[in-house]
Amino acid sequence: MTSMENMQYSICILGLNHKTAPIEARERFDLTGFSNRDLDLLGRESPVREMCILSTCNRIEILAVGEEPALSRLLVRNWAHCCQRDSGELEKLTYSFHGLDAVEHLFMVSSSLDSMVVGEPQILGQLKEAYKKATQEGTTGVVINRLMHKAFSVAKRVRSETRIAQNAVSISYAAVELAREIFSDLKNQRAMLIGAGEMAELAASHLLRSGLGSLVITNRTFSRAQELARSFNAAPVPFEQLSDQLTQVDIVISSTGSREAILHESEMKRILRARKYRPMFFIDIAVPRDIDPDINRQDNVYLYDIDDLGSVVEENLMKRLDEADLAHSLVSEEVRGFQAWLKSLDLTPTIKDLVQQGSDLAEKEVQKSLKGLGHREVSPEVRQAMRTLAHSVSKKLLHHPISFLKRKAEQEESSRYSISLARRMFNLDRDAPQGNQDPHSSQEEE
Amino acid sequence: MSFSSLADLGIALLYLLGALIFLAGILARKSALKRCATWITACGFCLHSLSLGLKTAAQPQEAISQGHFYFSFLAWSLLLIYLFLWWRLRLQFMALTAAPLALILFTPSILVSTQPLTIPSKLSSLWFGLHIGALFLSLAFLAMGFGAGLVYLYINRQIKEKKKLGPFRRDIPSLGTFDRLNHLTVSVGFPLFTLGLLSGFIWAGFTWGDVFSWDPKELVSIAIWLIFAYLFHQRMAIGWKGRKPAYLTSWIFVLCLISLVIVNFFVPSHHSF
Repeated sequence: MTSMENMQYSICILGLNHKTAPIEARERFDLTGFSNRDLDLLGRESPVREMCILSTCNRIEILAVGEEPALSRLLVRNWAHCCQRDSGELEKLTYSFHGLDAVEHLFMVSSSLDSMVVGEPQILGQLKEAYKKATQEGTTGVVINRLMHKAFSVAKRVRSETRIAQNAVSISYAAVELAREIFSDLKNQRAMLIGAGEMAELAASHLLRSGLGSLVITNRTFSRAQELARSFNAAPVPFEQLSDQLTQVDIVISSTGSREAILHESEMKRILRARKYRPMFFIDIAVPRDIDPDINRQDNVYLYDIDDLGSVVEENLMKRLDEADLAHSLVSEEVRGFQAWLKSLDLTPTIKDLVQQGSDLAEKEVQKSLKGLGHREVSPEVRQAMRTLAHSVSKKLLHHPISFLKRKAEQEESSRYSISLARRMFNLDRDAPQGNQDPHSSQEEE
Repeated sequence: MSFSSLADLGIALLYLLGALIFLAGILARKSALKRCATWITACGFCLHSLSLGLKTAAQPQEAISQGHFYFSFLAWSLLLIYLFLWWRLRLQFMALTAAPLALILFTPSILVSTQPLTIPSKLSSLWFGLHIGALFLSLAFLAMGFGAGLVYLYINRQIKEKKKLGPFRRDIPSLGTFDRLNHLTVSVGFPLFTLGLLSGFIWAGFTWGDVFSWDPKELVSIAIWLIFAYLFHQRMAIGWKGRKPAYLTSWIFVLCLISLVIVNFFVPSHHSF
């Protein structure tokens, strides 16, 4: 009999994100263009059973289910090989989570608690996209299917039961509100987006919706600026023209991966003179910051970084911390739920659940029939006979599925699949009717 | 009680009501109250115009020989500009400075009776009218600039120091709007000030045969004009915006008030009331 409890199979997440790796490193180990099969992890000989790659601009992660302890070492090796890099270099940049820690990490990612801007909404969509790709390529299985669907529902729960999502919205709202306090009419204002990023794009689109006159987009990689400009209906400009542009734009949203400031106070003085001191509003979303904080000392220049924006919104910080705590406890609750499900993938609890469900059903039906007959007219003997009948029907009905599962349990490969199938057929996990196990249902959910 | 003193009382009451209701409108964040306050102030203004017109028409010599006539006229100019802003730019917010200032300027014109001035002949000439009219209008613009400047400096500090956004700040027009008011103050107020000063000298030349007589008021006014000219140059040519012009405009207005009150009342000069 195989068992998840002795951890022959483990869930593992290997990844790097904005906290562990600078943008250059994230670019070096980017997996955006690769399919799940390219990593060459799955196969008869491989310890990996299921896998899914998640690649966004702030994080690259591989979620895998397989046999420890070879699993994470293999992930690092193949990932580095795929990017034609040294695996030692990659190992220094990555973090890895195993078992329930991996589950918790995934839930934190999906509910945007691990994001650079906590509560930003795009990560869930990116996760769904990554999962969709993996199912199409056939690299997911019982565990990842269930795990991903749980991750999506946790994200929804966190979003609806806490106000964590308002954090991101309120930050971009604060940016718009401040712009309105500075400029008399946003219609006459031009904004510039430097770099790219979820939060910066959110702020830009919020400004556009609030009536911003025009938007230009620049990026060190001009093709990226063009790409983004198309989706915003904005004008791309080459990065070299940055300082010329600064004499013309009024609002600057900066979100580059640069380690050093791209704009200094001394430069700012020249720019201000050239633009005849027309006011400028800088929104610096990048970490580390793109813009020298000292420019806020200049008249007619207003600089807000991401923390400043967060701190000016009306709710106080304590409240938001409470919300994060609440979200964390929701996540751990869901992790416990998932743990219970993982354990149930063993044969014994599944048989127990099946038998329990059968006898519950029999008892319920007996009571129903007795009620229909009227209690007095039924003699104790008849009552007993009815009960025996119902229970033996349920037992007989379950006999074949149970012996099928027992037979399957001896063949390691397909046992978890069969158990999971049985659990779903008999609805032992009391799931919502949409059937959270169907890998293709996720696409229709949105 | 004569018609004129009854009218004066009515005007003061309307201005007081306008100022109070507008303040209530701001605090309660009700735009209906604010609109109502503006209309009350406008009514007061109409009555004020009527009263001023009647007084001047009936006894022009007596009217302009009274010190408080000028304060009343200054209050009237201030409201004229405010109502113009309201009509053209839909800028209600300045009622917060206009109505109380008008009230303050207008009230002494009922309460204080000053000595009739000894005004030389030829007083009603064109130059004298231009002198008073242009200077007072420019002073009214400065009063606007002062109010706008103070609010600008407050909001500017709030934004710079990253204070929390609040419902009050949301109701106030943007920094850009206050800066536009400052632009108006400087671009219209300075030429008017210059015109007022020049016509005063020309009139003095005709009346006393002496253009410049080292009168304290003249000296102070020229000093203020120099500062105003500097501000005009920086704003128009260099492109100063925001904090500096707001600051300077507020100071120029304060200096004008000081000159108006202290020099005209307490320093012996041929501008004394």
